Amino acid sequence: MRILTKTSLYYLLVSFVVFMVGGFSFYKIMQAEIYDEVDDQLFTDKENIIAFIREHDRLPSVTSGISEAIIVREAQAVSPTIEELADTLIFSSYDEELVPFRYLTFTAYQNDKPYEYTILKSLIDFQDLFESTMLAMGWIFLLLLVGLGAVNYLINKYIWRHFYQTLHKVKRYSLSQYKPLQLKSSTTTEFQELNEVLLAMTEKIQSDYYNLKEFTENASHEIQTPLAIVNSKLELFMQSENLTEQQALLVEEMYASTSRLSRLNKSLILLTRIGNREFKEHEEIPLHELIAEQLEQLEEMASMRGLELLPPALEPTRVYMNRGLAEVLVSNLLVNAIRHNYDGGNISVLLRNGELCVRNTGKVLQGPADQLFGRFMSGSDAGGSLGIGLALVKKICDLYNIKPTYSFSGGMHRLCIRFSLQGSS
Amino acid sequence: MKVLVVEDERALKESILTYLRQEGYVCESADNFRDASLKTSDYSYVCVIVDLTLPGGNGLEIVRQLKENYPDTGIIIISAKNALDDKITGLEVGADDYLTKPFHLSELNARLKSVIRRRNFNGQKVVQAGAIKVFPDAAEASVEDSKLNLTKKEYDLLLYFIANRKRVLTKESIAEHLWGDHVDGLDSLDFVYTHIKNLRRKLQAAGGGDYIQSVYGLGYKFSC
Repeated sequence: MRILTKTSLYYLLVSFVVFMVGGFSFYKIMQAEIYDEVDDQLFTDKENIIAFIREHDRLPSVTSGISEAIIVREAQAVSPTIEELADTLIFSSYDEELVPFRYLTFTAYQNDKPYEYTILKSLIDFQDLFESTMLAMGWIFLLLLVGLGAVNYLINKYIWRHFYQTLHKVKRYSLSQYKPLQLKSSTTTEFQELNEVLLAMTEKIQSDYYNLKEFTENASHEIQTPLAIVNSKLELFMQSENLTEQQALLVEEMYASTSRLSRLNKSLILLTRIGNREFKEHEEIPLHELIAEQLEQLEEMASMRGLELLPPALEPTRVYMNRGLAEVLVSNLLVNAIRHNYDGGNISVLLRNGELCVRNTGKVLQGPADQLFGRFMSGSDAGGSLGIGLALVKKICDLYNIKPTYSFSGGMHRLCIRFSLQGSS
Repeated sequence: MKVLVVEDERALKESILTYLRQEGYVCESADNFRDASLKTSDYSYVCVIVDLTLPGGNGLEIVRQLKENYPDTGIIIISAKNALDDKITGLEVGADDYLTKPFHLSELNARLKSVIRRRNFNGQKVVQAGAIKVFPDAAEASVEDSKLNLTKKEYDLLLYFIANRKRVLTKESIAEHLWGDHVDGLDSLDFVYTHIKNLRRKLQAAGGGDYIQSVYGLGYKFSC
């Protein structure tokens, strides 16, 4: 829920409560005032009547006075003097409904003879007034609603625009774009503060990122150079004419280790670079062609291990990826299928509906399946393997939000990757 | 044939120079940008091997200068930065080849020979080694004028051996030369053995001698 919708709802809720309480109190106060007024009028009539009798010593004509009706009847002498003020309902033949009245009954004496007077006053005006007041309140509430909506819309458009601009920019911000975050300054203090905090934060993150990146590059450089030196010296040493067999063996072992170390270093650097999202050039890649190419290159390796490459079923599929990464991904999957196989086994590659599945015969996995994609998780038969191939696969999948799945059944390992076909044709 | 090696790492530079001198090249060297810039503008070289990260400047600048002044000079970039961008820029600017450190000296030598061969337009189109003739344009080879029926890998292997004649070639460097990045995680060293066995057999069947010797566990040496 948007913040403005939220505040509006709270505002409306409060307004509703205020209007209810206010309306009720208004009603009560008005009722009290009107009763007061009506009662005043009734008592004035009463005083007038009594004064008239006292002055003229006769009963006044019943129609005189400000009230709607004055009823007089002779009272029993025995009945005590009464004075009663109350509400009543009288049927009006004109309106054909009961109409509320206020009446005052009192006893007046003329020549010591009691007369019972009843003065009636209609309250219909009061009811009308109440109704129109409530109606007016309702209208005001409705207007307030409309007004609130309009004001919210404008505020949303105007005051909050900087906030939404900032939000939009932060959403699209990417560290590897090498572009600092640029935010428009706002006259609203809070948004300005937010912008400043965001700018400071991204600047810090960016500088950390650059430091890290620089470190990675430096590490690669600094490690590769000594490795290159060691390698080259060993290579020169090997050319010596008078090496004994034992020396040759030593040199060979050193050489094999440094070779392994440099391949390892290259792979780790690649992993880091993928993690840093440094591969930003994406293009549409015909996956079926790429797989066919890689299979062709690996065919020899497979046949040397006596593996049967079952005819691949490759549906034309285009994915939007970095070409180099796509190659690394496919080649690592295939190499993995060749490596973790047994002589005379087979490999089948299937690309259908945007899903690439590589199935191969092989021994049962020794560790838990979810560790398969971890670094340095090579199986026991993986002599010479760096155990980093599937970690690379995983990392590339992560980059493209793809989840690789693994299953094992009937002596077949099955590794599948479902590509998102976004951007495909 | 004069070759310039521009590399700031002294030990590595010495290794390259030693290896190339043994191959019969006349080598000069520079270890910073200024020296390299001066030498490339004053003398003409068959090929310049240049490192990208140099004290005082970027190696790419040397490549640009060379392209402008001596467009016939072959250029091989060697860099520890395996940043893809550098590789692409380097090749775009006009370098003939790109090698990532650490590399095998034998690989560098093979690449150097290939660059010189490609650049040498009016030179011979045949690489000859003893009784063996290799025709790079057609990717064919023959022994005593009888054509060898080689697979692509065996042909590459033969050319690699000839480029590094009388040198000990390690199994690792052969594997990397033949399979590149795929070398990782595969039993490529066994495959090297199989290929060498086949190549040796084919050379002998065509009337050649046993040119390929195994040097202890180190690797193989080709001599003819």
